[in-house]
Amino acid sequence: MPFWKNLSVIRKIVQLLAFVFLVYGSVVVGFYSADKLSGAFPILSCAYDAKTADYCVLIPLQHQFGHRLGPALSAGMFSLSVMLPILTTLGTFFILFVVLNKAFCGWLCPLGFFQEVLGMIGQKLRLNRVESLDPKLVDRIRPVKWLMLGFLVLLLPLASGLGFVAPELGDPFCKICPSRILTSLAAGQLNQLYIDTSSAGYMALSIIADTMFGLILVLSLTMRQPFCRICPMLALHAVFKKVGLVKLSKKYTPRCDKCGLCSKACPMDIREIHTSKETDILFPDCTLCGRCVEFCPDEDVMALKYAMIPVFVSSPKYFKARNLAQRIWEGKKVAPRRMKDA
Amino acid sequence: MNAAALIGATLAAALCSFTAAEAAMHWAPAPVEHSSGHGGHGGHSRNAAKPFMLVEGDGASLSLINPKLNATPVTAERSRVAIKPTGMGNYHALVATRSTGEQHESAIRYIYMSGEPSGESPSRLVGHEKSELEIEPAPLAREHWRYYSATEAVFILRFRGKPLADATITLATGNGTTSEFRTDVRGRVTVPLPEDFSMIKPGRAGNKPSEFVVTASHSDGGQTYITTFSSAYSVNPKHWQSTELGLATVLGGMLLGGGIITIGRRRRKEKT
Repeated sequence: MPFWKNLSVIRKIVQLLAFVFLVYGSVVVGFYSADKLSGAFPILSCAYDAKTADYCVLIPLQHQFGHRLGPALSAGMFSLSVMLPILTTLGTFFILFVVLNKAFCGWLCPLGFFQEVLGMIGQKLRLNRVESLDPKLVDRIRPVKWLMLGFLVLLLPLASGLGFVAPELGDPFCKICPSRILTSLAAGQLNQLYIDTSSAGYMALSIIADTMFGLILVLSLTMRQPFCRICPMLALHAVFKKVGLVKLSKKYTPRCDKCGLCSKACPMDIREIHTSKETDILFPDCTLCGRCVEFCPDEDVMALKYAMIPVFVSSPKYFKARNLAQRIWEGKKVAPRRMKDA
Repeated sequence: MNAAALIGATLAAALCSFTAAEAAMHWAPAPVEHSSGHGGHGGHSRNAAKPFMLVEGDGASLSLINPKLNATPVTAERSRVAIKPTGMGNYHALVATRSTGEQHESAIRYIYMSGEPSGESPSRLVGHEKSELEIEPAPLAREHWRYYSATEAVFILRFRGKPLADATITLATGNGTTSEFRTDVRGRVTVPLPEDFSMIKPGRAGNKPSEFVVTASHSDGGQTYITTFSSAYSVNPKHWQSTELGLATVLGGMLLGGGIITIGRRRRKEKT
């Protein structure tokens, strides 16, 4: 299969370009978000990276809750002008999100790309990879992203602004975010890899951050997308997923019940894409990577659509070629009739 | 004495510590009752006026240039100005100019103002010619990137918009350090901000920032030009943030990950 026809390869190229732009883009567009696009990018592109061209929505959102809304509520001075920055941030996020929907996760996020690259290294090292997590474990992990969004991005910064919790918790998600460490390291900065001994709270947050980064480095070698499963951005995207122009759709057929290759291919272990009889199969955990469509062996059953127009549709011909390419990549014996390790 | 008043008093003390020789006309934060984030990003009273004082600046003309490069005059009262929000977010330039006979002076300070997004890059404001002789921060430390002790700050000295090579610039800090540097052929100069804070406490909140002033002068056609750039600088967080411990913790996380993988493998083997 020529690489320009392989959706996964195309996606990797897009991810690489996005990584370069989001980590080093200020070299082109100006120093440290000087010419930032929005300050509300729907992906984990860190403001602490001094060379970034734009940064993630989560830092302004936490600051607006912690520095603006909290103190205003505390002082009894709530007004529209207090909410305006939050609405502007969310509005900008919303506009960007409508363009690409959750594909921001699967196609542009620097941390998502980093985990996928580590996964590819794990494959090449022939490490014993876990292709699908246990469904019970997946079910237990799924609510964590909502807790991360609710507590770390919204409630704790607000509580900090109101004076209920320590100032350390003004931007708690950023304090533990592995992308802060990754993107700043990639930009040649060591200043975000630290243990902060100035207070017990900062020390605890920095220990969590560094431990989680170490965990991601190792777990990504043997399992798919470990951090994406608990990322608050995934939850934030899920809130708006109905309005995005990119859609994942399915035309259920009885053959689907016997197949299940789509859920095996899914890096987020969304088994519902296999069992669902709905047309819209954009589930909250989906990153719109398109692997389920790639590994669907039936004609026109699954499709990635943009503004209702199919842009990539499943087909037996593509499936066979893609399955063969996958086996070649993994160094397995070529037996393209049935895909076992998508 | 509340924390804001303490910050004000500390800054006032820092200002007084500049010696007369170093004190060309320059901007500095004025002591305040309510802190507004030290004239930078991250303050809590975002709608409050930001107070500054112009040191050695009697008779100067003052203006505030917004991110779209529109200048508005500013009135000082006993060398103090209170810069109210302009409604436009992002960095503004506070500029003072004075010409007395053959001497032309300017003082520039960049201040962050909250407001609606300007849609303009701060680099446009920084690159805009505000006086004949000008010290341009390259880049301006801002947002999460501050001027810290024991780090290097880079500036470009420009005269009538063109880089000025082999010129002397001086650095004076509120903690008493003074030093001299020369610009290179591209007008660039790298200034190491000194590690001159005493009584350092753990954590950013426990350490008040100090001030530094970079001064340059140049003579051309019998006229003398003097300009200053001033900004706050803070204690380097390396005093309470350990990279070595951070690396060790990442390694610990990696070991933990290895343990999780091993346990997972054993469990899967037991199941099969």
